[in-house]
Amino acid sequence: MKIIVCLKQVPETNNVTIDPITHNLDRRGLAGVMNPFDKHAIELALSLKDTADTDVTITLLTMGPDDYADSLHEGLAMGADEGVLLSDRAFAGADTLATGYVLAQAIKKIGNADLILFGRQAVDADTGQVGPIVAEFLHQPQITYAANLRLSGPNEVTAERLLEDTKQTLVAQLPAVVSVRSELNTPRYPTPRQIQLSFAKPLTVWHHDDLELDDQRLGQVGSPTIVTKVYAPAPVKRELTPLTGTPREAASQLITALKDRQLI
Amino acid sequence: MSTTTAAEKLLLQMVDDYTQKEIAPQDMPMDAAGDFPAGFMEKLTATGFLGLMLPQEFGGAGFGPEITATVLNHIARGNASTAVTLEGHFKTIDQLLKYGTPALQQQLLPTATDRIFAFSMTEASGGSNPMSISSTATREGNHWVLNGDKIMITNGGLAEVYCVLVKTAPTELSVFVVDQDMPGFSFGKREDFIGLRGTPVGEIVMDHIVVDDDHLLGNLGDGGLIGDSAHDDARVLMGAVLTGIMEHELKIATDYAKERKAGDQPLTALQVTQRKVADMAIRKETTKLLYQQAAHLKALGQPYSELAAMAKAHGSRAAVSAGDDALQILAGYGYSREYPVEHLIRDARALEIAEGTVEKMRSAIALAEFNH
Repeated sequence: MKIIVCLKQVPETNNVTIDPITHNLDRRGLAGVMNPFDKHAIELALSLKDTADTDVTITLLTMGPDDYADSLHEGLAMGADEGVLLSDRAFAGADTLATGYVLAQAIKKIGNADLILFGRQAVDADTGQVGPIVAEFLHQPQITYAANLRLSGPNEVTAERLLEDTKQTLVAQLPAVVSVRSELNTPRYPTPRQIQLSFAKPLTVWHHDDLELDDQRLGQVGSPTIVTKVYAPAPVKRELTPLTGTPREAASQLITALKDRQLI
Repeated sequence: MSTTTAAEKLLLQMVDDYTQKEIAPQDMPMDAAGDFPAGFMEKLTATGFLGLMLPQEFGGAGFGPEITATVLNHIARGNASTAVTLEGHFKTIDQLLKYGTPALQQQLLPTATDRIFAFSMTEASGGSNPMSISSTATREGNHWVLNGDKIMITNGGLAEVYCVLVKTAPTELSVFVVDQDMPGFSFGKREDFIGLRGTPVGEIVMDHIVVDDDHLLGNLGDGGLIGDSAHDDARVLMGAVLTGIMEHELKIATDYAKERKAGDQPLTALQVTQRKVADMAIRKETTKLLYQQAAHLKALGQPYSELAAMAKAHGSRAAVSAGDDALQILAGYGYSREYPVEHLIRDARALEIAEGTVEKMRSAIALAEFNH
C-alpha cells in the first residue's frame, strides 16, 4: 500500500500580518514549522503502517522554497519513508488552485498512491481547499474533515466526518483523498534516534522540468484568486437532509431533492 | 561553539515541544508530590530521551556533548528534576564508554535506551573524600565479591544499573558495575530532599554481590580517576541545567514585572527592578558561556575539568541568587508556594552540593590555576 501525505510549512509565529497591498499573508522573515494539522495526517499514515498486514510506504509531499525540507525531515523523523519537495520559482505565488494542480501532477508522477492524506487546513491561510482541489484534479473520491478512518476492505476506507453540527460516516473506494481533523489522533514525537536516522532517508527535489506541467496553470499566472478582504464569515445555519441507503438509492434521493427544488 | 546542524535544530524543536507539553506542566505537581508522576518516565523513555548521547551502534541517537548539554538546558527551562535525572544517566554512560571493556559495553549499553544507569560514590562515612568509603570488593576465586552501602545516589531506586566506587585494597579505589537483578542487591531508603524533588535520590545495599572481572570499569585502582571523570561530565551538564533554571526564573520575573504596577508605574520602569533583572540575565549568560565552552572542549577531546567546575560553582550560586532576585520582584507571590520561584531556589541549591560542593569546586579550580 502506498500513502502520500501532503504537508505545508507555515509561519512559526501567530503574529502573522496581512500585506496591505495584496491582502495576502506576509510570510517574509518568519521561521517555518510544519502545519500542525498535517502532523495528524502523518500520524494516521504511520498508524496504518503500524497495523497493516501488508507493506506500507509513506511518501511526504510538499511544495515551497528549499527550507520546506525542514518539515519533510520532521515527518521523516516521525517515521515516513521518503520525502518529495516541489521547488521552483515558477511555482511561486500560487493560490490553492495552482498549488493543487502542481501537487496533483507530482502525485501522478509518484504513481500508484492508494491513499492521499491532508491536514484539514493550514493554520496560516485556513482555506482547507487544497485537498479537495487535488482530489478533483486526480478524479478521485474525497472525504474531508475525517475524525477517524479505517481500512474497511481491500480497496476501501470508512471515515467519520466531523462537521460543525453533524457527523457523517462515509465509505470510499481507493484510491481516495482524505483530509483529517486533529480529533483523529495524537501525533507521535520523533525520537532523537529517528531524527538522526531521518537524514539518511531519501529526500528528492523536483523542479519545473521534472513534472509534466501546463505553464498557464502555475504560480501567479495560474492563480485566479484575488483577495479583496480578510474576515471571519458569520455562521449560517442550513437545513440538512441526510441521504440514506445504497449509493444508488442515495443518488436517486439526491436527484429527486434537486428536482423538487427545481434546481435541475 | 560549533554550528547547529539540521538534525540538532530539529532535535531542539522536538525537545521544546515535548518540554512545553509534557514536562513543564508537571513542574509544580512534581515538587509537591516529591516524585515523577505515574507514566512520566515511561513516556520520556518511549520518546527516546535515554539514548540521546548513546552512540548509534548501541541503539542510541549518538548526539555529541554540546547538543546534549543544550537539550538539558532546554528541558530545565520546564523542569530541573527531569534534566538532572537525564544528567545522572548520561554521565554514567560516559564512564562506560570511556572505561568499559568492549564486552561490557556490548552487554550493557544496548539496554541504556530503556533502563536508567547511575553512578554511586557517596557513603555515610564520606562523600567528597572517596578514601573514607568502606564498601569493598574482595577477590574470591575467579570472582569479585562486593559488600557495602551507597547513599544519596542520583536516580537511586529508579536506576537499574549502578557503577559503584569500592575499595579493592586499603588505599586502592576501583569501580564495578552491578545490576539490580544480581543476587545480594537491594534498595534502601529514598532521601526526602528539599529541592529537585522529582528526581529520586536513594540508597543501594550490596550484600555479597558476585561479579566477574569484566564488571570492573577500567583497571584496579582507577576508581579515583573514573570518579573525577564522572564528576566532570556531570558538572558540564549541571551548568546546562542551572542555565535552564535561570531562564525559568527570568521568565517568571520579567512576565510579572511587565504586568505589575507600583503606584502608577509598571515595575519595568523602576531602576530597582531593572537592576535585578540585569543581574539575573548576566548570571544566566555567564553560566551558559561556561557550560557551552566546557562542552565544546569535551567535544574536541581537550581538557574540560576546570571549566566544568567553573560552570557548576558559578552557575549554582548564580541560580540561587537569581531566584532570590525573582522572589523579591514577585514579593509576596514569590514567597508563596503557589508560584514556582521558591522551588526553583530549592532546586538550584541542590547543585551547590551535588557532584562536589562549591567549596570543592573552588579548590579544584585554584589547583588547576596553580598548575597552569
